[in-house]
Amino acid sequence: MSATVASERIKAPLIPPSTHRYADVIHRLEAGGSMLPDTPENLKQIIGIYKAYAVPMDFYWRDLLYIAERVFLNPLPAFKYFISQEYLDRPNSYAGDQSQLRIWRGGEKAHPELLEFMERGETGRMPKLLHHLWHDRVNMEFAEACMQAMLWHQGMGGRFNDYLESDAYKANADRAIKAYFKGNPLMLGLYALFPDMFLEQVRQLSYTANLGLFWEVMAPVFFEMSDIYDEGGFKGVPDAMDFIVNGIFAVAGRPIYHHLYIGDECYEIIPKSEGFTWLYEAALPYVEAVFYRTAPFRGTKSYNAQAGQVPADQADFHYGILYADVFPVGSAGIPPTLLMQDMVHFLPPYLKEIYREHKRGEEDELVQLGITFQRSMYNVTSAVIQALRCALLYPLDDTNPEHLMANRRFFEAQMDRFLRPEARLPDIQSQNYR
Amino acid sequence: MDLLLLLLIPLLAGLVLPLLPDGSPWVRRGALAAALLQLLDGLWLWQHPPAAISAGWLPQLGLRLELGLDGLTLPLVLLAALLTAMAVMASPVDQSRPRLFFALMLATNVGLIGAFLARNALLFLLAYELILIPTTLLVATWGGERRAGAAIRFLTYGAVSGVALLAAVLALGWLQPGGLNFSYTALADHSLSAVQQRWILALVLLAFGLKLPVVPLHGWQPPLTYSQAPTPVAMLMSGVVSKLGAYGLLRFGLEFLPDAWAAWSPWLAAVGAISAIYGALNAIAQLEMRRLVAYSSLGHMGMLLLALAAATPLSLQGVIAQMLAHGLIIALLFCLVGLIELRTGTSAIPELSGLLNPQRGLPFTLGLMLLALLAAAGVPGLAGFVAELLVFEGSWVAFPWPTLVCLLASGLTAVYAIRLFNRVGFGRLDNDRADWVSTSWGERAPALVLTALVLVAGLWPSMLTGFSETATAPLALRSSDAVTVIAMAPANLNSPNLNPAQLPA
Amino acid sequence: MASILETAASVGVFNTLLAAVDAAGLREALEGPGPFTVFAPVDDAFAALPPGTVQTPPPQLARILTYHVLSGAYSREQLVAEDSWSSLEGAPIPIRCKDPFEVKNATVVTADVVCDNGVVHVIDRVILPG
Repeated sequence: MSATVASERIKAPLIPPSTHRYADVIHRLEAGGSMLPDTPENLKQIIGIYKAYAVPMDFYWRDLLYIAERVFLNPLPAFKYFISQEYLDRPNSYAGDQSQLRIWRGGEKAHPELLEFMERGETGRMPKLLHHLWHDRVNMEFAEACMQAMLWHQGMGGRFNDYLESDAYKANADRAIKAYFKGNPLMLGLYALFPDMFLEQVRQLSYTANLGLFWEVMAPVFFEMSDIYDEGGFKGVPDAMDFIVNGIFAVAGRPIYHHLYIGDECYEIIPKSEGFTWLYEAALPYVEAVFYRTAPFRGTKSYNAQAGQVPADQADFHYGILYADVFPVGSAGIPPTLLMQDMVHFLPPYLKEIYREHKRGEEDELVQLGITFQRSMYNVTSAVIQALRCALLYPLDDTNPEHLMANRRFFEAQMDRFLRPEARLPDIQSQNYR
Repeated sequence: MDLLLLLLIPLLAGLVLPLLPDGSPWVRRGALAAALLQLLDGLWLWQHPPAAISAGWLPQLGLRLELGLDGLTLPLVLLAALLTAMAVMASPVDQSRPRLFFALMLATNVGLIGAFLARNALLFLLAYELILIPTTLLVATWGGERRAGAAIRFLTYGAVSGVALLAAVLALGWLQPGGLNFSYTALADHSLSAVQQRWILALVLLAFGLKLPVVPLHGWQPPLTYSQAPTPVAMLMSGVVSKLGAYGLLRFGLEFLPDAWAAWSPWLAAVGAISAIYGALNAIAQLEMRRLVAYSSLGHMGMLLLALAAATPLSLQGVIAQMLAHGLIIALLFCLVGLIELRTGTSAIPELSGLLNPQRGLPFTLGLMLLALLAAAGVPGLAGFVAELLVFEGSWVAFPWPTLVCLLASGLTAVYAIRLFNRVGFGRLDNDRADWVSTSWGERAPALVLTALVLVAGLWPSMLTGFSETATAPLALRSSDAVTVIAMAPANLNSPNLNPAQLPA
Repeated sequence: MASILETAASVGVFNTLLAAVDAAGLREALEGPGPFTVFAPVDDAFAALPPGTVQTPPPQLARILTYHVLSGAYSREQLVAEDSWSSLEGAPIPIRCKDPFEVKNATVVTADVVCDNGVVHVIDRVILPG
């Protein structure tokens, strides 16, 4: 017994240690961990913020699908955020008793905290229109900004974008547009004059549906993680990360589609039979376009080409959450600020307590939760990286040194993306980064 | 009696406070109460003009206790009382060795009030010298890292200034026929020859030029004393003690030696212009906030000297306005810089940025600082504009070229004001170092009061000039529209609402 | 000789694969004349995946499965001549040209199992596009 234990202890590693700047993070990943260090406070912070993120996300995915499927090409969509009861009640395919692949133990309709917030907001009970005009509501603009990032960056992997340029899609879209504007000679006339403009709008709506279907999965994942943590089911950050990895694989094959509903009739603009998967056409493009790249926020960078502040190469964009500077620069309207303001309404009490005890307490809750959110998204990115490694490369306990080196090269390539000075990877290694 | 009260309040407080137990909060409260009482008394005296006091003290020396409050000194007395109160409020709650500190502050206050109230040149000299000791001690004990050198240099310059003033006063007294009479009425009525006047004026200029200061006598001020002094002391020194220099020039130079003054005024205007430009250019180059504010003060004093040199009724109103406005603004600036340094731990400009951040910066303090910087730059609507407008308009008729140079300097103040605010306020806040708490209302109070006054004075200029119009007009050497030199004897004029210059018969 | 699917059924270690082929509706296609090269993952390979990975609707499942198929029958020697082959799904499959014979991140356990309508190479992991 002791002989085997001793021999395990003196067993040399199969490959030499990494010489990358983030060598210790890489070794942690190779041991099955996350980019985020495994401490109890980190776990508490990220689970709390996952739950705070999931509640508005519940609204985002429902409203995104509402916009993509119902509002569609409404030329004056003033009420696109006034989600219908049908979509609030639309059963989440991964929660509730009716679900075939149940991720969350809770109900399939809109989360009760969300409904309560939609009723009261920060001000009080008012008609919905007043809440909307006072901007005391869920900041749906953030979701649309994410969608626009995906649309603008386009080819982030998968076949979704290519399909949007194909003739089959154009034919589907044409049918849908004509059906939507049936009996409206003005819009049909405009469509005849400017078909490409309408087609581009439909492409944007297809991305809206894509994002809605993506977040439909993530919301129950985060809710379930919060419930498991409350029971004490997570032993550390790697456990939380593994839950997300398993979730990714379980839902990887979920079909991505875009259906338009006019009344009760369904027009398939992107049918399920095209075979678009959640992993390749939604999740991976989303991570690339929103976590890494996004777009420079207006007011924070000069869009003047001569100023040279925005990189010429799209792949060099570094404005996603993984590179974000926490201070909301300037005024409202910057998408991460909108999300932070959404999350501050749904913080669990243990997270509020942490914020009260550090920095300026309740005064700078927004800044503190922004940093927590950044940590949590590094954890999600780690889950994506581990999932990719699991799918495309070799197991972590593989005995073939060549396989381990292939894993190593993959991790190092991922870490290379965080070599730039704006990356927050070195900051999140310390607990003092608040 | 009322006049004596102005002196007695801080004197008694200064004597009683050190007797309180160490660490008692009443030391600070007592000092503040004394300063506020003095301010209230001053305001009372404004509405109820006091009788002058004339009592014997050491008649053999010609030293008489002659005190009086006229339109020229009333605003300065109020400024001194106000800034003492603000300085006490700006001192940290956990001030080290508070009993000695506040006693020295009150001693400085006594000296200042005594100097302003004096109607006897020897009494003035006494008070003037008296101020030197507590201020030096304040800098030497509670100052920054290089306080020892700063205090010694300050003491040296101050001592030279005192000696020069002593010589001038004695000369004024001795050169008069008919015994030693140092009272202001006697000195104003002298009949010295032109050569004698110039010698004495040279001494006076040396003495008060060191105090103001002006280039090239400014060696003690920006690099050392103002930057090494603790915030309350810097507020008091730059706000009031330097105004003592201006007052001295006004009284001893312009009032007592008008012929020599008129003869030398072109040179004085040039020195003032040089001072202004020198101060502004140096301020632009500074990397440390206190030194920047100190050089800014130097520049503004240059403009003040220009107005003194021009000596038209309008420019003399500008002198008073500039004394008051600059006193408020510079005290405010030092107060805010002190607040920033208290919170962030540094006053070096390259190390600060993004302090306007609403969540983790110092937005309130920086907001007030913006107003203070704009006021220093002379933006209309704030006190600095009133003063500068009067100075330039009043000096233009007499000395157009120096006035133009000072205008340029005023433009340059906007440069360093905006650069400072841009560097310190805007930009990205360094999250790793932003772990200070926001300022409390108690800490903001002095800055708030001073900002309010700066705003009100900008919108209601009579607050700066209304005290003293009738007091300064008689001192003018030139009329505002012509360039010919007209020396006017000081006359006893009655003003409808404010005290006339009360000169004892 | 038997067809690819018949050969696979007879061996006994491809139950998950065959079930997936049926679920995706690819049986008819794979029974056709072809010829095909199929990289067939064993049951253990499917078991090693996180749970629920292949519980997907038919069109999506078909993508995973067609990624394991090349159009044309190629032996090992022919395969190692190129370092990347285009699968029936559309995405490329990298081939390791030296020893050992690896297809993407899977090792070929048994190569060159010739059938009526193509060649089967047995692999120990499920390969995924990307």
